[in-house]
Amino acid sequence: MSEAMQKNNPNIEIEGVRKARGNLTKGRIIIAIFGFALLFALLGGRLVMFGLADYSKNYQGQERDLATASRPAILDRNGLEMAVDIRVPSMFADPSSIIDVEEAVVKIRSELPNIDEKWLRKRLTGDKGFVWVARELTPNQQRRIFDLGIPGIDFRMESKRFYPGGEDAAHILGSVNRDNQGISGFEKYLDSQDVALLQELGFARGRELEAVNMSIDMRVQHAMRAELVDAMQRYDAIASAGVLMDVSSGEILALVSLPDFNPNQPHTALEPYNGVKGARINRITAGKFELGSTVKTITFAGALDSGLVKLTDSFDATNGVRFGRFTISDYHGKKRVLSVPEIFKYSSNIGTIRIMQTMGKDNFRSFLNGLGFDDALSVELPEITMSSIKEKFSEVGAATASFGHGMSITPMHLVAAIGGIVNGGNFVPPTLYKRSVEEAKTLYRPIISSDTSDKMRYLLRLNALEGSGRKANEIANGYHFGGKTGTAEKVVDGRYSSEKTFTVFASAFPLNSPKYAMVILVDEPKKENERTGTTAGWNAGMTSGRIVKRIAPMLGISPDFDASIDAGLVPKELLGRF
Amino acid sequence: MMKWLNLSLLFACALALVGVYVIKYQTLDIANEKKSLLVSIEQKQGDISLLEADWAYLNQPSYIEPMVRRHQDYLGLDIIDQKQFINISDLPMRQKTDADDAALTALFEVLDSGVDPIAALIEASSQ
Repeated sequence: MSEAMQKNNPNIEIEGVRKARGNLTKGRIIIAIFGFALLFALLGGRLVMFGLADYSKNYQGQERDLATASRPAILDRNGLEMAVDIRVPSMFADPSSIIDVEEAVVKIRSELPNIDEKWLRKRLTGDKGFVWVARELTPNQQRRIFDLGIPGIDFRMESKRFYPGGEDAAHILGSVNRDNQGISGFEKYLDSQDVALLQELGFARGRELEAVNMSIDMRVQHAMRAELVDAMQRYDAIASAGVLMDVSSGEILALVSLPDFNPNQPHTALEPYNGVKGARINRITAGKFELGSTVKTITFAGALDSGLVKLTDSFDATNGVRFGRFTISDYHGKKRVLSVPEIFKYSSNIGTIRIMQTMGKDNFRSFLNGLGFDDALSVELPEITMSSIKEKFSEVGAATASFGHGMSITPMHLVAAIGGIVNGGNFVPPTLYKRSVEEAKTLYRPIISSDTSDKMRYLLRLNALEGSGRKANEIANGYHFGGKTGTAEKVVDGRYSSEKTFTVFASAFPLNSPKYAMVILVDEPKKENERTGTTAGWNAGMTSGRIVKRIAPMLGISPDFDASIDAGLVPKELLGRF
Repeated sequence: MMKWLNLSLLFACALALVGVYVIKYQTLDIANEKKSLLVSIEQKQGDISLLEADWAYLNQPSYIEPMVRRHQDYLGLDIIDQKQFINISDLPMRQKTDADDAALTALFEVLDSGVDPIAALIEASSQ
């Protein structure tokens, strides 16, 4: 049959092929249609997905904040923060993508009215990709500006140094610049150590830097500052300063120098004080002064330790000591023979010169060297100065130096020396880092015997009970507080002036088992009222007393009025004499 | 045979296409999530740093002292005076009372041994 058909209609095969091809094409078209439909359905579905996606959670294109260099937190000895890093938003603009500069200017100034309009307009015009507009905003300001919805304005988090204590520890901490680099104080010292290197290497990102524990006790620091501020007003002084050291570990618990500044506003450190430029220096480490009669403590310690002078000795203080055409006499002249404790108690210049001369001026000079007066301070601050003491004393030079004139030392040198004298005779270098007594003991350097140390404690206490430290002791009664006053006349137009004085009180407490040494200075004090004076006992002394009264309970020292404690300080060779 | 091979290859291609597409977008999503977590961690760290700074500020003596002074009339806080200190050993002993020491001691001994005579009295009266 097929043969017949083939014969009748030879083209049928061709038609079949065509039909088959046509069918195939049709099928392909259907498949293609189906394929495209699927594709479009997929695309459509994807579009719907995109439409439903929440873009506020999309961080694809958002750049992570480039945290600026961070710094370690600084804690006081009890763990209270003295300096911390906070992360604050800073506003920047991309001027090339700002549509309406005028609108942006008006909106930004509605939130930050302090920004200069012209400056801002200029800043936001142009093709630059990135300009800072306002740095270190508060989170609230950031939210409000963000809500204004200005195109081309964005924020970036930056680290900022914050000092919660404000002025309290200004001279200890110093401050940092806008790039978080230390520019003064302990902050600068930290940079000179390893922080700067870490920042450079990029390791100081985030908050992984270990906190630094300082020796400072913020409670004591605040109390000392508050009392010194009070002293500045009370005595109408131009400056005052103080430092407190733990005598067994060498830790500095408080260091104040007024006038000071606010570390949160570093520029305040350079502001003049009452018209005087550079008044806000750290007087404790960067200032050197003629510390007056407080130096007699040093002279006595050296002389007693040399064995050439004994507590039982007496010296003639009837007449002044003559050096060529100069005569050195006493402020409170007794005009008689004085015993060694009396010389200390009455602060006799004549007696002290005689004692120094018995010891020998070269021995005296080498004793000063042994106390570290010629060395640079060990304290971790960049603002330090060297003492200025003549390398070799002349006769008159040694005489004046024995009562603190003609040589300048920093209060920090003095407090370290006093600490060494009362703690049993071991000099320990002062530090701003927390340090245990065991650690400190490895640094001990003997300066005097413990026997001499006992005698010095007796003399310091005697001066508080009967001498110029009386007024201080009345305030700090019960804490076995004692010290030596020093009133130096300031040099005005090349001559010593009795009008302008520099007063110091170098002290230690409790003297039955010394824990702390303190040096307080008040510069150019005036009389508080008609019945008071301008010598150190009235100002530096009484201020010291008020400070001790306030800080002793914080330091765990309770008052004790047991008379046998003071009696126990009297060296055996003096028993029965007074 | 060839037809099936082609078809299965085609199918495999389509499957691979879809798979790659899905994986690509999943990766992007995960990367996005990671970034969002990092950003939120940084924001939280910033918040923590602010709160910590706040806490440190509120704990500073320089913040507390002016507050105490402002409310001096009400608080009556002042610098502690030396005469306010006293040793426990300096405290006088409590004055002798007229309580019957022997009876009290006996009562505590009975209580220690586990018998409560007062509870027994109450129980007896309530029955």
